[in-house]
Amino acid sequence: MIALLLVPALLLLVVVFVGPLFRYAWLSFHADSVITGLIAISNGGANWLRLVQDQRYWQDLFQTLRFAGVSVGLELVLALLIALLLDQRWRGRDVVRTLALIPWALPTTVMALGWRWIFNTPYGPVDHLTKIIGLGSLNILGDPSLTWMATVWADVWKTTPFAALILLAGLQTIPGDLYEALRLEGGNALICLRRITLPLLRPYILLALLFRLAQAFGVFDLIQVLTGGGPASSTESIALYAYWNALRFLDFGYSATIIMASFILISLICVIAWIALQLIIPTHSKSRGAVSS
Amino acid sequence: MNRRFLIVLLLIWSLGPLFWQVYTSLCSDQALTQPFASIDHRWTLVHYRNVLTSNPPFWRYLVNSFIVGVSSTFFCLLLALPAAYALNRIPRKLSIISRLALVGAALFPYVLLFLGLLELARTFNLGNQLLALSLPYAALSQPLAILLLNSAFNDLPPELEDAAKLEGLSLFQRFRWILIPLISPATASTAILVFLFSWNEYPIALTWISDSNKLTLPVAMARIAGSSIYSVPYGAYAAATVLGSIPLVLLVLIFQKPIVSGLTSGAVKG
Repeated sequence: MIALLLVPALLLLVVVFVGPLFRYAWLSFHADSVITGLIAISNGGANWLRLVQDQRYWQDLFQTLRFAGVSVGLELVLALLIALLLDQRWRGRDVVRTLALIPWALPTTVMALGWRWIFNTPYGPVDHLTKIIGLGSLNILGDPSLTWMATVWADVWKTTPFAALILLAGLQTIPGDLYEALRLEGGNALICLRRITLPLLRPYILLALLFRLAQAFGVFDLIQVLTGGGPASSTESIALYAYWNALRFLDFGYSATIIMASFILISLICVIAWIALQLIIPTHSKSRGAVSS
Repeated sequence: MNRRFLIVLLLIWSLGPLFWQVYTSLCSDQALTQPFASIDHRWTLVHYRNVLTSNPPFWRYLVNSFIVGVSSTFFCLLLALPAAYALNRIPRKLSIISRLALVGAALFPYVLLFLGLLELARTFNLGNQLLALSLPYAALSQPLAILLLNSAFNDLPPELEDAAKLEGLSLFQRFRWILIPLISPATASTAILVFLFSWNEYPIALTWISDSNKLTLPVAMARIAGSSIYSVPYGAYAAATVLGSIPLVLLVLIFQKPIVSGLTSGAVKG
């Protein structure tokens, strides 16, 4: 009887999450565009064949992976440093923690517009800065080899607080006497980090990694407002390409194919990242051996 | 390295970009092009006046976002509370599997759903209606909400409900008078996180709403940005950025505790 209480939520989840995925799978084997009068007509595997041969798709995939990999990597390292700083006791810590959370809470599009001004050439502060330190005017938002770094920067700024908070939650579960025991044996800060902090933080790092990786792979708001995918589609992401295909080129069949491919890819990437991190981060059992031996 | 130095660095990194927007929004157009030179008539409120008297005025977007945020939060909790409760009362294996599925859904980059949801809006004529947006928003925040509330229900001692049952309270009465009040801190955290999500959401709002009087804040900002890439109306942009940020900065400052505890318990239990 009580299980009936689950039904409304379940229904909504199926309509919003499962429905679209099945629809994409079906649509990806159909032509549904202006040419067909926006009526779905079966076209076998033509969409998928087109995807394989679509250079723009592969370029966008590379750019999306580069964006996700670099920004999530930077985020996790920075987040760990911030979490370690916020885990210590000092006056005003709670205030700083609150203030540091603000970037995460702002709408992405709001600050994306802000970043566009900050990176503006020649009027933005970054441009002034690069001129002062002798790099000259870099034209950050106009140079394809630099623009993607600006998008990474803006993303790291916005999402690091979230990752830091998760890692901080993990740090606060670690009992302090573990550190004391290791320190008594002559372990320095770095050894403590490797033998205690990282192993015990592992589930939290994994969670932050998976969540951020999936979200970064679907990056959309930031790119659309900050660069519009430019210059010369050098920052275009998969999600943005799928969006163009649906709403600008009105090719729903192909857009669905792109999304379906991305869905499969991101699932694979998350599994691979999960396994890789399991291997990289030392496990707790080893560290416990180190402490007691 | 010195700790105080690191703290200052963290604050500059977090707040510097915001202060630059505040600074820009107060500069006259002439001063904007020379931010570091000394200029007469540097300070002005003209950008704020322009943004607030444009058509539609900027506060309209804030109101729209507020309406969507409140209705989504209400709708989400209405479905998530019973579901989170029931999740503890079904066979253990099923419950674990459901929770795993919910974690997967919470991790899912929901932007990929935009096309399917757009078709949904077209089929059922849900476009350009603010309240209709709470349907996808409540759904997208449902996984996180159920997980957070479920772990709150989990932490309650089971004897409590047994005692209430012996007293003859019905399921609804137990829910209304005993369980809901006890998990209200978790409910508050969840509500704020759902509100934040709905307030900030962009891709779905972008595809569902086109009427410029009904835009939510994030879409309005993007539309302002898209209007001209190469001219320099950045004073107005910055004023809009500041006005768009103020409600959220206040929200974070006021509700810092429930936000942190919501995110944190989400991490610890997820």
